[in-house]
Amino acid sequence: MIIVIDGLNQHEFKDILDEMFKLRARVFGDRLGWEVNIQDGRERDHFDDLHPAHVVSLNDEGEVVGCMRLLQTTGPHMLADVFNSILDGEPPIRSAQVWEATRFCVDTKKLGRGRGKNSVSYVTSEVMIGSFEYAMDAGVRDAVAVIDPVMNRVLQRSGNAPYDYVGTAKPMGKVVAMAALMDCSEERIASIRNYADIDHDVFLSDQQARALFDKSRITEARPANKDHKPLSELETYFVEQMAAARTEDERQAVLNLIECLSDKFTPEQKTALIQTPRAFAHEA
Amino acid sequence: MKLIDLATIDHGERSAYDIINSVCNELGFDYASYATTHPVKGDVQGYANYPDEWKLHYGSQGYHHLDPTLYQAALSIAPVDWSRFNHDEKFNAVFRDAHDFGITDRGLTVPVRGPYGECGMLSVTKDCSDTEWKKLKRHVMGDLQMAAVQAHDTVMQSGVLAKALYLPSLSRREREILQWVAEGKSQQDIGDILSISHRTVEVHLRSGREKLGALTTAQAIGRAIGLGLNIQVNT
Repeated sequence: MIIVIDGLNQHEFKDILDEMFKLRARVFGDRLGWEVNIQDGRERDHFDDLHPAHVVSLNDEGEVVGCMRLLQTTGPHMLADVFNSILDGEPPIRSAQVWEATRFCVDTKKLGRGRGKNSVSYVTSEVMIGSFEYAMDAGVRDAVAVIDPVMNRVLQRSGNAPYDYVGTAKPMGKVVAMAALMDCSEERIASIRNYADIDHDVFLSDQQARALFDKSRITEARPANKDHKPLSELETYFVEQMAAARTEDERQAVLNLIECLSDKFTPEQKTALIQTPRAFAHEA
Repeated sequence: MKLIDLATIDHGERSAYDIINSVCNELGFDYASYATTHPVKGDVQGYANYPDEWKLHYGSQGYHHLDPTLYQAALSIAPVDWSRFNHDEKFNAVFRDAHDFGITDRGLTVPVRGPYGECGMLSVTKDCSDTEWKKLKRHVMGDLQMAAVQAHDTVMQSGVLAKALYLPSLSRREREILQWVAEGKSQQDIGDILSISHRTVEVHLRSGREKLGALTTAQAIGRAIGLGLNIQVNT
C-alpha cells in the first residue's frame, strides 16, 4: 500500500523516510553502483531537502519495499541540474503539468519474481499507480522519469511502457540512465492495474500508514521483550483487564485508562499494550 | 516584513492581477490571490481580488505572518486543499476573521517552484458544497497549474534583473516544433515528420509555451520571434 510523504506530513513519518533512505542506499549504492552520496547507510541528496513528494510502498508487514521521488519541473530538479548530460546540452522541459520522477526503486531482496503480492512486478506497479494517481489529482499530465534500462524493461513488460524518451541514454556509474516520458492518464493507470491485478484504492491514510509501519516495529521488538523484560505489574494488570473485557465498551475503558497512565510506560510499551493486548495475554 | 499589493504599483501589459481575475471568471472561483516571498527582503508580495475591507484587515492584523496558505503550502509539490492544514491557533485566527468578511475556508493553494528555488502560491476559494468542490477541483486543476506558473513567472519577470535571468531557454526540440507549427503543421503531422509520438510533441509544445509565458501556441510563436529565438515565418 502507498503513502505519499511530503513537506507537510514528513514530521509524522521520519522513521518511514529513514527506512526509505536505507532502501535507496542498498539499491542505488550497493546494487546498481550509481555515484550517489551514502552516509550511515542512507542515500540522500539535496533534492530531498527541497520538500519533494515521496511515494512510498509498505508491504503487509509494514516494511518499506518501494519508493519514488517526485519534483516539479518548474523548479530545481535532477534533469536540470544533475542528469543534464542525458539531455545532450539541451535545456530541460519546464512545465507546471510535467513532474519529474527520480530514485525509483523496489527492494529486490524482500520481493520475489512472478506477479504475486510480494513480487517486484506488483510493488513496481503499485508505486506507479500511486504516483500517477497523485499526479493526476494535482492536474499533472505527464511525468519524465530518470530510470535505468532494467527498470525500462520492467515498465515495458508491465503495461506501463514509456511513450518516448528525452535526450539519449548515458552511462551513470555501473549502469546507464535514461529519461522516459509517461502520460499520467486514466488509460495508463487502467493498463497497469489490469496487468498487476490491482483494483483497490492503493492509498493509505496517514493514520493507516502509521499503524501499518508501527506493526513492523513491534514484530522486530517482540523477541527482545520475551528474552529480557518481564511485564511490569501495571502491564500485567492491563493485559488481564484486556483479556477479561467482554464488550467494546469495556475494551474502550481499558484503552482510556492506558491513555491516562501514559507517563508510566515507554512509548514502545504503550504501543505494544494498545496494539497487541491479546498477544501479551498469553505471556502474562 | 511588509505586505505589498503589487496591483497598486505594477502597470505591466498583462499583470498577475489580470491572471487571478481570469482564474475567478473563467474557472468559477469566488476569490483568488497570488503571493510570493521576496528572496532578499522577505516581504510577502502579491495580488488578491478579495474585498478591499478584508485586504486592509488582513494587512493591519499582520495575518501574513500566520497564514498557513502562505507558509504551509510551499512544503508540497501538489496543490494543497486547505482542509489538509491543521486547524491550529494560527489557522483559526486568520479564518475566523475571514468568515466574518464572508470569505470561506474552502480553498486550495497551488505552489509553484521557480528555477532559483523560490516559491509562488496561487490560492483560490469557493463557498460551495463538498460534492461541488470535488467536481470543480477535478475539472480545473490542470488550468490552475498553468495559471499559477503564469502568475509566478509574470511577477518574477517584472524586475529588470529578473527579466535578464528569466530569458527563456528553449530546447532544440521546442524550437523545432514551434517552427513546424509556424509552418502550419498539426501536432500529428509534426509527430510524423520528427518520428516522435504526438504526445511528445504536445509535451514539448506545452513546455515551450510556458517558458515563453504564452497562453496559446500562436502567442508563443509571436513571442519567440519577438525575442529573436530563431523562429522564422516563411512566406
